[in-house]
Amino acid sequence: MNIIGESLGTFLARQTVQAATPLIMAGLGELLAEVTGVINIGIEGLMLMGCIAGYAAAGISGSGGVGLGAAILVGMGTAAVFAGVTVWAAADQIVAGAAVNILAVGASGLAWFFYQNAREAAHRSVSLGRHVGFQSEAIPGLSRIPFFGPMLFDQYMLFYAAIILAVLIWLLLHHTRTGAILRALGDAPEACQAAGISVRTWRTGAVLFAGACAGAAGAYLSIMRTHAFASDMTGGQGFVVLSLVIFGRWTIPGLIAGCLLFGGINSLQQTLQTTRYTSHSTLMHALQYIPFEFFQMLPYVVALLALATLSRSSPGPRYLGQAWRQ
Amino acid sequence: MLSIENVSKAFGGVQALNNVSLAVAPGSVQGILGENGAGKTTLMNILFGLIRPDRGQIRLNGQAVVVRSPRVAQRLGIGMVHQHFKLSPALSVTDNLALAVGRNFVLLHRAAFRDRIAALARSLHWAVDPDSVVGQLNVGQQQRVEIIKALLGGGKILILDEPTAVLTPQEVDELIPAVRSLARTGITVIFISHKLSEVNRMCDRIAVLRRGELVFAGPMGELSAEDIAQRMLGAPSALSSLGASSASPGLVRLHLSRVCCTLPGTRKYKPLLNNIELSVRAGEIVGIAGVEGNGQTTLIDVIMGSLPISSGVITLDGSDLSHLANFRRARQFACIPEDRQGQGLVLSLSLTANLMLRSYRNPEFTRLGLRHVTAWRAQATKLVRSFDIRCAGVEVPIQFLSGGNQQKALIARELYGNPPVILAINPTRGLDIGATAFVLQQLTAARQRGAAVLLIHSDLDELLAISDRVMVMYAGQLLPTKWPVVDRAAIGRMMMGITPQAA
Amino acid sequence: MFWLWTAMAMGAVAFSVLLVLAILAISGYPALGILHRWIIGAAGNRFNLAASMADACPLLLTGLAAGVAFRSGVLNIGAQGQFLLGALVSVALTTRVIFPGPFWCVIVGAMAAACIAGGMWALLASVLERYRGVPVVLSTILLNFVALYLVRAALHGPLQAADTSAPQSPQLKIIYWLPILITNTDFHLGIPLAFAVAVAMAVVLGRTNFGFELLITGLNPRVARLVGMPVVRRQFAIMFLSGCCAGLGGAVQVLGVTHFMLGNFGNYGYTGIAVALLGRLNPIGIAIAAVFFGMLDTGSRFVEESSLALPHQMANVVKGVIILAMLVASAWMMRRGSRVRSPEAGVNQNPADPQQVQS
Repeated sequence: MNIIGESLGTFLARQTVQAATPLIMAGLGELLAEVTGVINIGIEGLMLMGCIAGYAAAGISGSGGVGLGAAILVGMGTAAVFAGVTVWAAADQIVAGAAVNILAVGASGLAWFFYQNAREAAHRSVSLGRHVGFQSEAIPGLSRIPFFGPMLFDQYMLFYAAIILAVLIWLLLHHTRTGAILRALGDAPEACQAAGISVRTWRTGAVLFAGACAGAAGAYLSIMRTHAFASDMTGGQGFVVLSLVIFGRWTIPGLIAGCLLFGGINSLQQTLQTTRYTSHSTLMHALQYIPFEFFQMLPYVVALLALATLSRSSPGPRYLGQAWRQ
Repeated sequence: MLSIENVSKAFGGVQALNNVSLAVAPGSVQGILGENGAGKTTLMNILFGLIRPDRGQIRLNGQAVVVRSPRVAQRLGIGMVHQHFKLSPALSVTDNLALAVGRNFVLLHRAAFRDRIAALARSLHWAVDPDSVVGQLNVGQQQRVEIIKALLGGGKILILDEPTAVLTPQEVDELIPAVRSLARTGITVIFISHKLSEVNRMCDRIAVLRRGELVFAGPMGELSAEDIAQRMLGAPSALSSLGASSASPGLVRLHLSRVCCTLPGTRKYKPLLNNIELSVRAGEIVGIAGVEGNGQTTLIDVIMGSLPISSGVITLDGSDLSHLANFRRARQFACIPEDRQGQGLVLSLSLTANLMLRSYRNPEFTRLGLRHVTAWRAQATKLVRSFDIRCAGVEVPIQFLSGGNQQKALIARELYGNPPVILAINPTRGLDIGATAFVLQQLTAARQRGAAVLLIHSDLDELLAISDRVMVMYAGQLLPTKWPVVDRAAIGRMMMGITPQAA
Repeated sequence: MFWLWTAMAMGAVAFSVLLVLAILAISGYPALGILHRWIIGAAGNRFNLAASMADACPLLLTGLAAGVAFRSGVLNIGAQGQFLLGALVSVALTTRVIFPGPFWCVIVGAMAAACIAGGMWALLASVLERYRGVPVVLSTILLNFVALYLVRAALHGPLQAADTSAPQSPQLKIIYWLPILITNTDFHLGIPLAFAVAVAMAVVLGRTNFGFELLITGLNPRVARLVGMPVVRRQFAIMFLSGCCAGLGGAVQVLGVTHFMLGNFGNYGYTGIAVALLGRLNPIGIAIAAVFFGMLDTGSRFVEESSLALPHQMANVVKGVIILAMLVASAWMMRRGSRVRSPEAGVNQNPADPQQVQS
């Protein structure tokens, strides 16, 4: 690991944001869907679909942009299946989400197999070429600010997109009629219906948006931060997203804070693993005695504690997880 | 001018509306009276485009209109305030109204919109703050927001579907002038109710529906109250046949002595129950009157043990109940809860399962530790027959029964096996006249068998009709009355917290 | 109703298998040959059938875990974590803290301890809901991950095998393996045990007062309180029982099949949710569904190992599609059912007075 040239703190800060980016992206979509009353525990599966779609499309086309676009489309397509089952057929969202997860494991495995076979048959390399996929993009000037520069302005393009999206969604939710509709969908769908707003159509829109976000977050894992695919590469991050949306009390600042906290803990933990015998910092040295699994566990425990201590003040959208029958 | 012409509607063989015609003048308050199932709501749903009539048409200012959907109704200037509000509690008043009547999606001209709401509220002399969160408003205020919503949408004709059912008497008193002031601004108000007294105070004209047919339409005051009731019900009220008991009551069964209850952690606030003294003897019905929210549900909760008391003693047949575990304590009482569907029945389960919820522990219904299926079915069939529960079979999920039959099933379960102590709270809420009479008869029959009955009821007439003694609950206190020596007006004053001289 | 459901399940299965085969055919693979191999792999001979049963065994127990809870309206998504903890405890008791006694005592003790561990872990979610208002559906998702990392920490720490740096436990001594009942196959004692648990569950839940109380408590605790059921105890019992099943599943998988434990120990808990749904939350139905899923898995591994070398993950596509199809079909059926029974539902809340009531 290359820590030369920047301090450990700066390195950790950048790693934190890098680890938090897919969570923010997928979290924004899931937050919007949950605000409208749809909880999708299949977000993990959607991300996995985004991973493989992004990787395969980038590999075949040779373009990272095409990969990202494909990941978004596949994420939306899978979410459309989920929306059909939960929003339109009014089936149980939890069970459908679990089914999407299982389906995604199978479909991504099959797709990966097809992709490998196709590449080998065409005598092409399975792995991505050197310049396929995304590199981090430093914003000239700003990225030179000490500490905050590398942390906020030397990131992958999806981070910038996620931040802009976060601001837009916040504005949308709290300052527009659309936002009032979205919030009412999860709080009092009957009020929306009485106003002639199609609850199902709007919820479908929110679920599709969440699918697009999760797909993009998946692509981030396979063609941005790393340029590889593995069948377990989401590693539970979809579930992390679910817990962070709850942790953030269904607010955007709360979500982002949660994502950064998780990213921070995660990058610290990874750094500890890789620098186990090289660090000279006393604090880092002391932390090394704690099994790193406890750091991995920390975000879930924190989310649980957050729920246990704060839950009565804001229990979340009232109709979360409940289908709307017209 | 709104006119309904020869409208008919049938639901699967049941004629909900039969050839109904009615004309409503602009700027008037038209009352529509009828008991549950008379077709009032169906008629209004047709006006508002929720249901299409089988026959007949609607004319607005002479022009025939087809109200295909609520949206069309709104465009025609017909607004409706439902009994269950269509508001989002988490949103502010402004957001709720923007959601309902706004046009654009992205830009919300918040300040201008907010001012429109405030101006409208001011012109009606209503105190409605556009920035307050709807969930924090009381029911009466939420109703105002609903009315403003209908008006902002360009409503010229306003349908109020049983607006007083959810209000306290004080709020009803505030609603009446508010509606009158609406009518003065040229709005036509259609007021649906089954309470004669309210219609009397509010309306210019009335129409009476009975079993889907219009039996009277004319100006208020043309008929006497008795005549209207006669037409509404078709038969003399069943209430008069239920008298107070002549038998002398027996021993004290349930006794509450100096019972106080405060919410845990809120000691500084006034207690939910304050120094309650109450005894219910075998063979009597003790009625507790009062405006809802004065501690009635708390009283039931502390007797059943689901809320702890902070001081005092509750005894049953002389023994202190505080030694019993809550679930054993609940088994001592038959209880007809207020919220039938939420607290009384498991809607997704069969009628049999619901009927057996009390007696399943009884050894005759188990065999070798397992459920005795045939005994269960036989018991359910027996109850269905003796309580006249109309159903397609005992295995039908109870959610498919009508409200009256659900309540019959609940009463069959709770009153089976002659329970010695019965607690009932608003047992006739939402029931039509026939089912109401049935419920009250069952309670008097239980008294005749020697049961001690504690009846908490917000309908004063029904309460006075069957109670042997009446007490009034006000602000967590229980005030004795000298019923039947005093008149109901005196009890009414006590319910409002006016300290009695004569009572 | 039963037959309708069975037909629906069959339809969903056929639909999903055909869908996967169609995808394979379009991609240029011999779909019929794959199907043939799949069936042979799943149940072609007694070895494969026994392997399918062994695959079904943990799914049956996690399916029961989900079924017990869902049937009572408790959304326990935590079978995964409860399964892992059960496995961990049984590994710990058979490799590190072996209490004295003959081998069968150790096995029974390990399984009992796994049950209790799973049950307690599930109970934690109940306690959080009761005293802190945390919805079970959220807390169990989170607790799954806490359990996962607890297991990995243990497998990296006190339970780690001596000859590896991976998170992995040593292998159990052969005397602690569950006995194989049919020689030269994978048919171990845990399989009949799991079916016995399913039957016991069917009786307890469906035919006893205790089961009735669990049902009522789960569906509507306010009613249960009104009629004098010990609500809190029963709510805890639902989760404990559910967790017990999952924990036992973990123990049976370790003692009967893997004989050691890895940091990555399968997704049986999540798949159990699907099994429970396919089995209509009924213990016997769950048993059938679990066997079917076991066959899917075993068959697909056979296909992967054959000359076709298709990835075994395709079984997961079939599973996912089955569940989604079942969800749609049952939702459609329910809506149709309610429409037949109450024509004016949602339009007229108080349909009629007693004289005109629907019969």
